[in-house]
Amino acid sequence: MRRLVLTVSGLMLSAAAAMPALADESSQQSVAPVPRFVEEAEAAGIAHSYDGAWEFFVGGGTAIFDCDGDRKPDLFLAGGKNPAQLFRNDSITAGPLKFSSLQTGLDDKQAANVLGAYPLDVNNDDILDLVLLRLGENLILEGKGACRFEAANRALAFDGGREWSTAFSATFEQDMNFPTLAFGNYVDRSAPGSPWGTCHDNFLFRPEKAADGSVRYPEAIRLSPGYCSLSMLFTDWNRSGEPALRISNDRQYYRGGEEQLWAVPAGRPPRPYRKADGWQHLTIWGMGIASIDLDVDGFPEYALTSMGDTKLQKLDVEADETLPVYQDIAFDLGVTAHRPYAGDDLKPSTGWHSEFQDVNNDGLWDLFIAKGNVEAMPDFAAYDPDNLLLGQWDGKFTETGDQAGIALNRRGRGAGLADLNADGLVDLVVVNRGGPVSLFRNVGKGTAEDPKQIGNWLAVDVRQPGKANSRAVGAKVSVKTGTRTVVKDVQVGAGHASGQLGFVHFGLGVAERASVRIKWPDGDWSHAYRVFANGHVIIERGAEKAKLWYPE
Amino acid sequence: MTRISLFINASLLALCLGAPGSHAGGSQSDLPPWSERAIVDDVDIKALAASGKDPIEVLQPIGERLFKAKFTTLDGAGRPEATQAIVPTKVRRRSQMSFQRLAGMDANACASCHNEPVNGGAGSFTVNVFVSEGFESADFDTLDPQFSNERNTNALQGAGLIELLAREMTADLHGQRQSVVAKARRSGQPEKIALETKGIAFGTLTAFADGTLDVSGLDGIDDDLTLRPFSQKGVFTSLRQFTINAMNSHHGIQASERFGADWTGTSDFDSDGFADEMSAGQISALVAFQATLAAPTRKADLPDIWQEAAAKGEDLFGKIGCTACHKTSLPLDSLVFHDPGPYDTAGTLRQGDMVTPLALDLGTLDWVKELPRDEKGRVLVPLFGDLKRHTIADAANDTFGNELLAQRFVARDVFITAELWGLGSTAPYGHRGDLTTLEEAVLAHGGQATESRNAYAALAEDDRQTVIAFLRSLEISE
Repeated sequence: MRRLVLTVSGLMLSAAAAMPALADESSQQSVAPVPRFVEEAEAAGIAHSYDGAWEFFVGGGTAIFDCDGDRKPDLFLAGGKNPAQLFRNDSITAGPLKFSSLQTGLDDKQAANVLGAYPLDVNNDDILDLVLLRLGENLILEGKGACRFEAANRALAFDGGREWSTAFSATFEQDMNFPTLAFGNYVDRSAPGSPWGTCHDNFLFRPEKAADGSVRYPEAIRLSPGYCSLSMLFTDWNRSGEPALRISNDRQYYRGGEEQLWAVPAGRPPRPYRKADGWQHLTIWGMGIASIDLDVDGFPEYALTSMGDTKLQKLDVEADETLPVYQDIAFDLGVTAHRPYAGDDLKPSTGWHSEFQDVNNDGLWDLFIAKGNVEAMPDFAAYDPDNLLLGQWDGKFTETGDQAGIALNRRGRGAGLADLNADGLVDLVVVNRGGPVSLFRNVGKGTAEDPKQIGNWLAVDVRQPGKANSRAVGAKVSVKTGTRTVVKDVQVGAGHASGQLGFVHFGLGVAERASVRIKWPDGDWSHAYRVFANGHVIIERGAEKAKLWYPE
Repeated sequence: MTRISLFINASLLALCLGAPGSHAGGSQSDLPPWSERAIVDDVDIKALAASGKDPIEVLQPIGERLFKAKFTTLDGAGRPEATQAIVPTKVRRRSQMSFQRLAGMDANACASCHNEPVNGGAGSFTVNVFVSEGFESADFDTLDPQFSNERNTNALQGAGLIELLAREMTADLHGQRQSVVAKARRSGQPEKIALETKGIAFGTLTAFADGTLDVSGLDGIDDDLTLRPFSQKGVFTSLRQFTINAMNSHHGIQASERFGADWTGTSDFDSDGFADEMSAGQISALVAFQATLAAPTRKADLPDIWQEAAAKGEDLFGKIGCTACHKTSLPLDSLVFHDPGPYDTAGTLRQGDMVTPLALDLGTLDWVKELPRDEKGRVLVPLFGDLKRHTIADAANDTFGNELLAQRFVARDVFITAELWGLGSTAPYGHRGDLTTLEEAVLAHGGQATESRNAYAALAEDDRQTVIAFLRSLEISE
């Protein structure tokens, strides 16, 4: 036991000894424990690079999902001009990461020009399919099991178009048995004056049932005007039960554009929220959306990456909660991440993929942001390391990227945080432009040879077996430990050209048990499932108890 | 020359008292001899583990002092802003009272409740505690069982052996789980296993080819197959976990490994002006004291009439089925008590948090050497229990069904088999300590024990007396 005074001076001493160049908030030490990440792509068998000309300055995504049914997440990586690659996860539980390259099922033409990918079960056979965003024809690859895929555009009557597609999101609209798909497009290169002010429209595809009961996507509903979107997300921003489509747009090329929110009412045409609806005009170089309900009030907050400041949007407490009026709390919480936190470059950062996960399992959300110069933009930082902003108990976030070991000199684009070796510590995949993919294993507070756990954790897989939308896209997972509750949504979309479906990861801190409730996509809440910490559970709708899963 | 030797002396002193970086609570030399500070000694357990010294010798005396000590506000006793919950939880409203009989803090010394017949022992009804999760209505001030479970104080004698048994059984069950999952993966079919360890059955487990598990057939144990032997309900994993829980709940002393900055953002979570109130070394000392407490034995020098009655009674005890749950003994393979243990989770020091854990070899203790062994040389722990939870009340016999609140996922009428060793020294009986005679306690057994209970009731008066004579011969020696 020490008197409080001693502790405070101890903290100040360590803070002073700690961090480098920039004497602002980002140089404070994290009180929350900092996890260590070990980069091991090469050793794991992943040799991949996202590259290409101007069209591939953007994009660079990864889809993280289990394609062979062993519940370990596999990896699909977009390649730009390089062929896209598929890797099966062969990692030993709690061991070093190991992946094997597999055939994608794409021909040479299809495998090239891929900017991003999202996993989703399109045809309700409970095998995850892949939606590929391409420069040119977008592809829906039907999963056949055992990590085999087949291009299914024709079978689905889906016109992949010819646009430069950079964003995607999907949702199951009310009473629909198949997903509604939204594609975000970037610059229309063939329009006069391109690229300045020549953004393509975005498109919405609503499912139609064919005579044999299978799904078709014959009609592309135009979402006009498009403003060069780089991230989209179907999100229930107002607890209405009806997700709206948020679109983050790159002001680099639009003229008169802004961030967008489209209402997508069931059975009716989508329409954008306008100023009259309360939507405010916000222009950023929108690169990636990450959504999380930080204060668990039912209204998600949104992190929007950009060049310079990241925004963290919270529904304005003083405005009417039916109006989409947002305030930016990024500065208050310390997540502006507007400059590199390491190195001598004081120019503004360029942020891409963003994602909220609990990387140290202390029960507080953390924010990862992939960073990297667009190509050689002279007004923006050249050495621009990825951020790992750890949530602290005072509600703020503290930068720990270099302490965590992820501050590589690479240009991060798309990314994903998922537990790849089933040890309860969330690992990190970053697709880098013009450089190798980074594959980071989270070793907690240990080392590569001897990983050590930090907090307790829980991985939840949510399923609706026998129903449409068997992967429960749109569900909310609510985890209660003591008097605290954290929530996360099962979503398809957001990020930068990158998505994942699988176990939803939660840190539980020092709690040994948790009570998990699911709000199913149709709005019904489940009963509370009682689970113990440090394991994988599968919650199936209607089941009395959670199923436990033990990795090999 | 002088400077160097001073440095050497200073560092030797530091090693003895607790190296810098540990949560040293001020050295003895700082305090006047009349000081009311109770938490004074500390130990650097990482250095101790590396040193090769016998940890029992170092830790047990410190633990005993801490167990008997009366904690004061000078030690950081009191938790004005924190509830009794075992995960750091802030109060909704700050209470006017520091001590409060029901919601706590309700004591300032471990030994003030654990003292019958000796320190570390049980407690009478007078010192019952009121167990609440500490989340909702944490500051309850009523005896109403809607808000808390009233519990009698358990004896800790033999707890080290209990924890060792629990660890071995958990390892065994985890191994069985692993093998049935592997079997299902290989065969591609669902595979079922009847779980059993040390002769105790824990229900069935079904594994499927995809690695999933159906735990609905488990009996008397948690879904994660970790045997939690402590508390009346069998819901706490280890002495270490329980010690940290109790130090906060009863004394408002918050151990850093649970309530420290890593997990709460502050080193003074209860906001009483004291940071890091108890270190890992001090918790280890308390664990060492409890783990080395001599297991209960049988009364020596009984008059012949008692000896004969007890022998007959022990025989009947088995015949009427009591030993189905109150097993005479369970075998123990290893006597090395590792601290930290293998099954604690974040919030209690784990083996991964140290380079090597402390190894307390209970086999070096005289009282362990006197324990009976089986033909394989394993110590037979004479606990008269099975470390398994059972339903003990039903509509017909609801004496043990007085509680309204479930505890940590365990239903209100389910309790772990009470170890009967030491029974002769720890009246009154029952989880609430409200049964004054053994016969009342036996007749209160409902639920899964109904058949044995009825068999007892059907015995002739003389026979029943022999069972009482047997039970009364089990004691904690003073």
